Amino acid sequence: MSEFERLKVVTRYEFLKHLRRKRLYVILGLTLIAELAVIIGLPTLGEGYPDDIMRMAALLSFGAALTSLGAVFFAGDAIAGEFEGKTGYILFTNPVRRSTLVMGKYLACYIAVILLTLFVHVIICISLLAIYRHIPIETAESFGLWVLYAGSVLSVTFFFSSVSKGAMGATVITLVFIMVISGVIEGVLMMAGQPTWFLLSTAGDAVFTVYGGYEALLPGGTPHDMPPGVLETPNISLCILAMAIYLVACFLLSIWITKRRQLA
Amino acid sequence: MRQPIVIDNLSKYYNRFLALDNLCLRIEENEKVGLLGPNGAGKSTTLKILCGLLRPSSGAAYIDGVNVVERPEQALSRIGTIVETPEFYPFLTPEETLSYLGRLRGMRGDGLRRRIEEVIRLVRLEEWDTVKIGKFSRGMKQRLALAQALLHDPPVLILDEPALGLDPRGVVEFREIIEGVGKEKTVFFASHQLVEVAQICKKVAIIDHGRLLVYDDIAQLEGKYHSLERAYLELTGGPFE
Repeated sequence: MSEFERLKVVTRYEFLKHLRRKRLYVILGLTLIAELAVIIGLPTLGEGYPDDIMRMAALLSFGAALTSLGAVFFAGDAIAGEFEGKTGYILFTNPVRRSTLVMGKYLACYIAVILLTLFVHVIICISLLAIYRHIPIETAESFGLWVLYAGSVLSVTFFFSSVSKGAMGATVITLVFIMVISGVIEGVLMMAGQPTWFLLSTAGDAVFTVYGGYEALLPGGTPHDMPPGVLETPNISLCILAMAIYLVACFLLSIWITKRRQLA
Repeated sequence: MRQPIVIDNLSKYYNRFLALDNLCLRIEENEKVGLLGPNGAGKSTTLKILCGLLRPSSGAAYIDGVNVVERPEQALSRIGTIVETPEFYPFLTPEETLSYLGRLRGMRGDGLRRRIEEVIRLVRLEEWDTVKIGKFSRGMKQRLALAQALLHDPPVLILDEPALGLDPRGVVEFREIIEGVGKEKTVFFASHQLVEVAQICKKVAIIDHGRLLVYDDIAQLEGKYHSLERAYLELTGGPFE
């Protein structure tokens, strides 16, 4: 039996685990609520849908950000859980390379996240078609970028899961790293007028800008009293490079660490 | 005579703590050997190294002549294991779990389905095979652990406290299963239950502080010390009054 066939087996059963767990459906419900809040909330509470289809598309893509949060919750226990929950005593005593096990787990998580992202973008497309009778090509670009961003978040989570003793710890550390540490560094660098493209939080912001940058998203454009550099639309190409680096580097690190990790 | 399990000068440090101290042991084909020792003697460490879960600090371990550290996948393909109190994914049923593990070992199709039915029947989990494992008691998980260890009909069984958590009937059934399927298998198992070991094994290895104290036939030890219990107590804690 080849390692590729084993990889398919691991991916299949790990995906089955995701289908059986509540967290997939919780994230699915949350993204649906986020989309409905925009679709129903705007005409109900405000002045109706914006005239600019790009602004509406950008507002709807906030739901896709939740799918990246899903990536953290799916992957937090992927490796740490095997050690903490002692399921590793059953899994790691099979004649399968640990790299195959990590890859299979990663693919299963990624498939779940891609399906969630697809679900959000189907809602976006249907909504835009219903309201504006048009779907901008940028929606496809947004889908691709969210998939890449979710992959980089997934890899970072796998890295923390491979070094953490517990699944909860891995999940919390990842969230703190992406939302707090990366966000704080981004804020400081922006205020200092330094580039931030290499930060994961900037990459997340960049995905929204496919619909026209911050200037197009904010009603009335960016505030004039902002220091230079702050709210400057990130360079999307550099952010794509950063996401790809996070995706590959953290994923490879997680494999390397898991292979070396002992189950005492 | 073939020696499916060879432990060669195995040492293991946990930071500065020496858990195994140049342990040597050779188990011959189809032998049933009990590994005895007080808590912290190094039993689980020994078995975990054999199962590829821990790396030794020095020395080597072989399964059917295959070095466990150098070629773990090849070595693991020849063994069935129960290590500590195993846990399973609570969202899966026993049938799905065994299907997953069987497929990882290259089993498939009708052959796998038939074998899953056989081992589930063997450990008496027929009525629970489609219930999610999250609802299982410790004893039921232990039965499932035995099922997965036997699933691929391995020539070598490495078991760490396999009867832990089983009720008295479960212990008897476990012994009967090992006696039945284990006739043509090499069985190496750690336990604190001397009676259980004496009923299943012909030989025992007694270790303490990571060192081998004795490796002999139970009959020989009983002749020398009057009983296995007395042998164990004297060897691991000085003369027994």
